Amino acid sequence: MEASQLQRPKAKLSKQAWVAYALIAAPFLLMVLLIVYPASLSIVRTLRPEVEGVRRFGLENYQAFFSDHTSVTNLIFTLWSTGAIIGLLFAICLPIALYLRFTDSWIAHWVQGLALFPLFVPGIILAYALIRFIGPNGLLETFIEVTTGWQGYRTPYLKPAGSIIGLVWEGIPITVLILTAGLAQVPDNLIEAARDVGAGRLQIFFRIILPLIGRSLLIAFALNFLGVIGAFTLPYLLGPAAPQMMGPFMQRTFYNVLNPDAAETQAVITFLLSSIVGFLYVRSAVRQQKEET
Amino acid sequence: MASLTFNHLNKQFGSVKAVDNLNFEVKNGEFICLLGPSGCGKSTALRMIAGFEEPSSGDILMDGKSIIALPPNKRPTAMVFQKYTLWPHMTVYKNIAFGLQLRGLEKKVVEDKVHSALDLVGLKGYEKRLPAQLSGGQQQRVAIARALVLEPQILLLDEPFSSLDAHLRVRLREELKSIQRSLGITTIFVTHDQEEALSLADRIAVMSSGQVEQYDSPDIIYAKPSSLFVAGFIGSMTLLEAENKGSELKLGNYTLPSSEIVKGKDVKVALRPEDILLADANGWAAKVSQVMNLGPFYSLVLAIEGLGSVKALFPKTSLLKEHDQINVLPNRYLIYHEDGVEEITL
Ligand SMILES: Nc1ncnc2c1ncn2[C@@H]1O[C@H](COP(=O)(O)OP(=O)(O)OP(=O)(O)O)[C@@H](O)[C@H]1O
Ligand SMILES: [Mg+2]
Repeated sequence: MEASQLQRPKAKLSKQAWVAYALIAAPFLLMVLLIVYPASLSIVRTLRPEVEGVRRFGLENYQAFFSDHTSVTNLIFTLWSTGAIIGLLFAICLPIALYLRFTDSWIAHWVQGLALFPLFVPGIILAYALIRFIGPNGLLETFIEVTTGWQGYRTPYLKPAGSIIGLVWEGIPITVLILTAGLAQVPDNLIEAARDVGAGRLQIFFRIILPLIGRSLLIAFALNFLGVIGAFTLPYLLGPAAPQMMGPFMQRTFYNVLNPDAAETQAVITFLLSSIVGFLYVRSAVRQQKEET
Repeated sequence: MASLTFNHLNKQFGSVKAVDNLNFEVKNGEFICLLGPSGCGKSTALRMIAGFEEPSSGDILMDGKSIIALPPNKRPTAMVFQKYTLWPHMTVYKNIAFGLQLRGLEKKVVEDKVHSALDLVGLKGYEKRLPAQLSGGQQQRVAIARALVLEPQILLLDEPFSSLDAHLRVRLREELKSIQRSLGITTIFVTHDQEEALSLADRIAVMSSGQVEQYDSPDIIYAKPSSLFVAGFIGSMTLLEAENKGSELKLGNYTLPSSEIVKGKDVKVALRPEDILLADANGWAAKVSQVMNLGPFYSLVLAIEGLGSVKALFPKTSLLKEHDQINVLPNRYLIYHEDGVEEITL
């Protein structure tokens, strides 16, 4: 029986497999041409620095990056911002998603619509809207002054908090979407069963719900990490000039400092960090597919 | 172990009356089945006992004290669900231990209790398995163990076996009954399967559109269903139109004795298949129009002129086949009228 089971797919493979290969050929080629090939070129180029007029293999580019105070500060700042943004996103979106999952009222539908709204606003428009709102003499400052008379408002615009606020705002819709989708997969019975054996709200959240939406949390983490670590528009328009996130930093190194080698090294480092998270994400997706079959 | 009383219990969902004025009591240690068609409010009634639904009005008393103000996690009830019963990320051990750990019991005590609960449902040695590594029947056994390990006053089960195949269903039914008997725990079991209810329950509450139609022992419910609805729902029954002629009922070309009580009322006659017996030439002339083999019995459909189809149950030794001409008579029948039911035994 085992032998026949092993052989049958082989005979069938040829037709179906060719259709499948044909279908993935186009995206696969595009990926190779537009991502894998230039990325490999870049990685190789950063490993072949020009020393005294000759290009040869060496780690000088990376030594330069990691011995340069500004570069290291910017990298740490980027990772720190990314962590803060993802933390804030979970802190904001988990309650929203939980509320949406466990309430069925017209208010919930409105909240859902509102949470998704930023999805339809382009980043650059969002940036200028935020400047008008939280910037100096912006709506928020005026409002606080008029209503409370308090004059101590200090704008987060052009400070680390500026880019964090912008990126959190931008990340809310996708995070809420992913988390509500994950929570929708948690059957009511499992929660009721937990209440039945005596679990309170917090125990249900930490012992039942969180473990059951682990995969959604990972997806939300990965997508936000990838989006934020390479973000350009919002940190460029809202964030500080120093320290800088990697996106604007690369751009400045390339156009203003006119050091393409250093910019490329920064890009490769950002890319490698993203790949780690991308790898975790893909591994979890593959594992899930295996479990389902 | 406790008794339970429903006091004018109502539940309204928008315009739907899911549970309509429920009034009955369950004695300490009794095994009750809530039986009825889909949508009649069985689950809603059960979920109000567990605390998952709040009654619109009325009260639920446990040992004479109202429990409706208590949240589910404070009620001494334990529930077994039909589907998605176990937490998929926890092993069998953790599933059963969870409730005990929440109560802050010592590790050793938890261990002992989990082991004896698993022993009770015949799943010793399955502690480390994940729910996905268990069969449907084993999962429901674990769910029962998880409910029992907390030593609840009342065990609630909502169609716990209905997603299992027929064979397994019967086996788990027997196991549950013997566990219930040995623990003496008050149990309320929801089902839409009359056979399940008849075989399990001390008393059955037959429900229809939110109301209890009849609340009696399985024997009485089977022998004397209090309404046409219950008669149609429990077992097999032939209903015949009858003309009420004083001391007699006229069914087509035949007559049956009537009762004083039904005089002058519109009536219907109901016959259980096993109450139809072979008779001499004075009996009703019937043609066998269908024979179904039920193992030890034949289930027959008889065509009787002027009466229509009548179901009957004969032993195999009767050797009947399709198209045979026979004579039959009932030895017992029920007369349904607008105020209730009369039982007549000949
Ligand atoms: N949460 C709810 N919101 C609105 N209507 C509900 C809700 N729960 C139940 N109902 C309605 O109440 C009625 C009784 O439902 P219930 O689930 O108690 O029936 P049931 O007897 O358990 O049926 P089944 O055998 O199909 O499980 C149905 O008409 C159902 O549509
Ligand atoms: Mg139900």
